[in-house]
Amino acid sequence: MNLLNSRIIRFLLGIWLPILLIWWWWTWSADSVDPFFPPLSAIWEQFKFNWIWQLFPIHVVPSLRNLFLGYLIGVFAGVTLGALLGASPRVSRYFEPVIDFLRSIPPVATVPVFILFFGLDVQMRVAAIAVAACFPTLLSTMQGFRATDPTLLDTGRVFRLTPFQMMWKVRVPNASPIIWSGLQVSLQIAFVVTIASEILGSGFGIGAFTVIASDSFLILDAWTGVVLMGLLGFAINVIFDLVERWSLRWYIGQKKLAS
Amino acid sequence: MSARALRIPAGLISTIVALAIWQVFTLVGPLANSSVPTATSTLARLWEMLFIPETWTSIWLTVQMALFGFIIALLIAIPVGILIGLSRFAFLSTKFTFDFFKVIPPIVIIPITILVFGPTQEMGTFLVVFALVFALAIQTAYGVRDADPVLIETMRCYGLGRGKQVLYARLPAALPFIAVGIRISAAGAMIVAVVAGLVGGAPGLGRDLLLSQATGESTETFAIVVILGVLGLFISRLVVFLQRRLVFWTAS
Repeated sequence: MNLLNSRIIRFLLGIWLPILLIWWWWTWSADSVDPFFPPLSAIWEQFKFNWIWQLFPIHVVPSLRNLFLGYLIGVFAGVTLGALLGASPRVSRYFEPVIDFLRSIPPVATVPVFILFFGLDVQMRVAAIAVAACFPTLLSTMQGFRATDPTLLDTGRVFRLTPFQMMWKVRVPNASPIIWSGLQVSLQIAFVVTIASEILGSGFGIGAFTVIASDSFLILDAWTGVVLMGLLGFAINVIFDLVERWSLRWYIGQKKLAS
Repeated sequence: MSARALRIPAGLISTIVALAIWQVFTLVGPLANSSVPTATSTLARLWEMLFIPETWTSIWLTVQMALFGFIIALLIAIPVGILIGLSRFAFLSTKFTFDFFKVIPPIVIIPITILVFGPTQEMGTFLVVFALVFALAIQTAYGVRDADPVLIETMRCYGLGRGKQVLYARLPAALPFIAVGIRISAAGAMIVAVVAGLVGGAPGLGRDLLLSQATGESTETFAIVVILGVLGLFISRLVVFLQRRLVFWTAS
């Protein structure tokens, strides 16, 4: 049993199944004649041809730029509004029903609305991503601020912290573990809306490339797009986890000591 | 008493103010001559739609995709999750693979599912299953692993078999975890069902939304978005209500 605690063993345990699955897909599809499931080797060749790096600047770069721009705007708005509403329950009572309703709308369903406002181009995409990314962060920030331990606030008052210090030295750090979980949900939603806005918009972006390929029965191209989007979706989550763990290392250490 | 009494008017005021801002913006404000409809015309269109049977068919088709996908995902995820949770080897072996598929949004595979299934309800249902099944299985496995080890050891001492251990110790420990998974997935199932229509062309509210936007029926676009919001709100309330009733021993 102790063997399972070793890092190397854990790593090997984690990757044997994916390797087996990929190997199985490779051999199973090697002489596939099903038009929708071409050989993995062919997909891989096409993948290298498309994305390293011929079409990368045309489709991937704008997608990622929209994603990060929209995400940053949305998250900034979410944290600001969430902090304001979370710090004053009296004000938030007025906004809650409207926020509750707006966040119940599936984020992707707002894309047609933004098309009405902005047309099919970049502004629409960034706006849709920003609004979708705003809500999870807003809610978690509100929740994090409300859950502030009153003793902490009292202690801060005893030390005569200014409201500014109170905000940045007490409230924000204290709420940050909850805020981070909202930031992660925001990022996942932002990614989905990025792809949706490209599919419903027109022309460029990975989502648009993949759907156009699929509609014109360019099956290999469609598969390379799907694989790329899957890998990107996974990669942004991994990167987010690393950043989160780094910036919450004080909190994780605290929890380890406590347990 | 006063706090309780104030609560409803506060919400009502903000709703009316929001609608009023919308109305002013689209009537005389910066959006006056745009294709964005006014609040009153949207609500009027919504009212009309409530008496058209097609609206209800669309709602039902969307709910159906979400519900079927949700049930199929549960039927697969719970047994798989229990099996994985029972063995540390299986848990560690599948963790990475399941985590990988868990974070991949279903919209990513729509270009392939649309080729395989066509723009059908089956496609929508499949996407819902894909979206939920991995997260639910992981959640179940965590729950099974959370069972009290002392309880398991005690059962073993009294010679109770694996089956009984699962039934009386592991499953009850997993239920609160599964309940959390269900609460999160219920909203997710609806969202995926809408996305399947909007992006993949599966029948239901999503496709209606796409068609209304493509044909320039902007009032209808807004009316459908309002329907989706109300539906989402209703489902999240319903799930919280059911959870309080059914998993009453974990009060939260």
